[in-house]
Amino acid sequence: VIGVGRFIQKRQDFENAIARSYQVEMAARVQVAQGTGGVGARRVVLREANHRQELRDQISDDTRDTAILVAAGLIAGLTGALLLFSGLIASLRRPLEDLVDAAGRLAAGDLSTRVEIGGLSETATLGAAFNEMAGQLELEASRREQLDRLKDEFVLTASHELRSPLTSVQGFAELLMLERDNLTPSQVETVQIILDNCNHLVRLLNDLLDLARSDAGRLSVRMRPTELAPLIDEVVRTMRAQTDSSHQALTEQLESQLPTVEVEADRIRQILVNLITNAHEYSPEGANIEVKAGIVGDEVEISVSDDGPGIPETQLDQIFERFVRGDAGLTQRVGGTGLGLAISKSLVELHGGTIEADSSVGRGSSFRFRLPLDGPAPQPEASG
Amino acid sequence: MKTVLVADDSETILLLMRTRLELAGYAVQTAVDGQEVIERVVASQPDLLLLDAMMPRKSGIEALRELRAAGYEMPALIVSAHQNPGDADAPTDLEIDGFVTKPIDFDRLLREIATLTGAEATQGS
Repeated sequence: VIGVGRFIQKRQDFENAIARSYQVEMAARVQVAQGTGGVGARRVVLREANHRQELRDQISDDTRDTAILVAAGLIAGLTGALLLFSGLIASLRRPLEDLVDAAGRLAAGDLSTRVEIGGLSETATLGAAFNEMAGQLELEASRREQLDRLKDEFVLTASHELRSPLTSVQGFAELLMLERDNLTPSQVETVQIILDNCNHLVRLLNDLLDLARSDAGRLSVRMRPTELAPLIDEVVRTMRAQTDSSHQALTEQLESQLPTVEVEADRIRQILVNLITNAHEYSPEGANIEVKAGIVGDEVEISVSDDGPGIPETQLDQIFERFVRGDAGLTQRVGGTGLGLAISKSLVELHGGTIEADSSVGRGSSFRFRLPLDGPAPQPEASG
Repeated sequence: MKTVLVADDSETILLLMRTRLELAGYAVQTAVDGQEVIERVVASQPDLLLLDAMMPRKSGIEALRELRAAGYEMPALIVSAHQNPGDADAPTDLEIDGFVTKPIDFDRLLREIATLTGAEATQGS
C-alpha cells in the first residue's frame, strides 16, 4: 500500500515534471522563433526533450516495479487470507472433534464426560451446552440408580416384613388342621384354602426376594460338585405327584454318562421344578412332559418339553420377563407367580449358563438350559 | 419334661410357638427381647433356646453371644425371616445349632428340637 501510494505520488511528480519540461521547452521554442535565445535556447529545447525521455524511462521502471509490488502484495494477501481461513477452520475443528469424541464416550455410557470449553464463541457455546446436557444426564442417572436401590431395598424389606404375619396365618391354620377331627368337612375345606393360599404367598415372597436380590446383585450361588442324574431323578419323582393327578405322563431321558458339575443343587432343583411346574400347569390332562439331559459340546443341556398348547411367538419373546405369563386359556388353574422363568433365567446365568425356549402353537413348548461343564467362568466382579 | 425358651417380639408368634410346642409335650417359657432372654436363662436354665434373630433393644444373636460368653451351652436355634441362613448376618464365631426360617415348617422344627433336647419320646406331631 505504501509502495502504491509512493508510486501515485511519483506519477504526479512525473506529470508535473513533464508539464514543467514542456513549459520550459515552449518558452525556449518561443525564444528560438523570435530569434532571441540563440544557441542557448535550441540547447534547452534538446535538453528538455532528453529530460522528458529520462523521466518517461524512469516512470515506466517505476510502473513495472509497482506492478510487481502490487502482484506480490496480492499474492501475499491471498496467502494471508488462506492462512487466516485455515486457522479459522482449525480453531473450529479441534473443539468439534473434541465434541464428537465426547459425544461418543457419553453414548457409550461414560456420563462423567465433559469437554474443555474454548475456541470461537460458537464452539464455546456448543461445548457449554454439551457439558450442561451431560451434567443433566449424569444427575438423572444417579437419581435413577438411587430409586433402583430404594426399590430393591423396599422389596427386600417388604418381603421380609410380610413373613411374620404370614407365619402367624399359616401357623394358626395348621393348628386348626391339627384338630381336623373336631371340624366339619366344610370347615376343613376352608382351612385348606387358607393353607393353599399361604403356600402360594410364601412362593411369591421367595420369588420376589430372589428377584430383588438378583437386581441388587446379591443373589449368589454356592457351587458344589453335584451329580446331575440323581438330582434330576429326585425332582422328577417329586413332581410326579402333581402330574399324575392330571394324568400327565412325566418321563425322563438322561444320557447314561452325565457328568458331575459345579452347581448349587438347590438352585438347579428350583429351576427344574419351575420348568416342570409350568409344563404341568399349562398343559391339559393327559399331556406328555419329557425331561432330557445330555452333553452338547462343553456344556450339559437339560430340557423340559411338553406337547401342550404351545406359546404364541409374540409371548415367547418376553416369556423370561417377570410377571409375563402365558395365556392359560383352556387349561387348568395356573398357580404360578409369574416370576418362575425370570428367576430361572437369573439362576442359570449365575451358573454361567444360558436358557432358551421354543414353542409352536398347538404342538408344545420346550425349555432348555445349558451349564458349562467346567463351572462358570470367573466373573470380573466376583461375588461369593 | 424339657423346657424351651421362645423369644420373639410378636405376641402372636409367641402364642403360636407356645401352642405347638406345648402340644408336642414341652414346657414353654417366653421372652419378648434379648434382655428378657438373658434374665430367664439365668433364672431357670431352659433346655433349648428358640430365639428370633431380630428383636428390639437386644437381638437374639446378641443375647446368645452374651450367654455363650457367660458359659451357658444349651442348644440354640435362631429364627429368621430370611430365606437363607447366610443372609441372617449370622456370626460364624457363635455356636448356633440351627436356623429356622419364617414361615415356620413346624414338622421340621419339632424334629430338630426333639433331636437337640433328646426328647424324642414326647414327640407329638
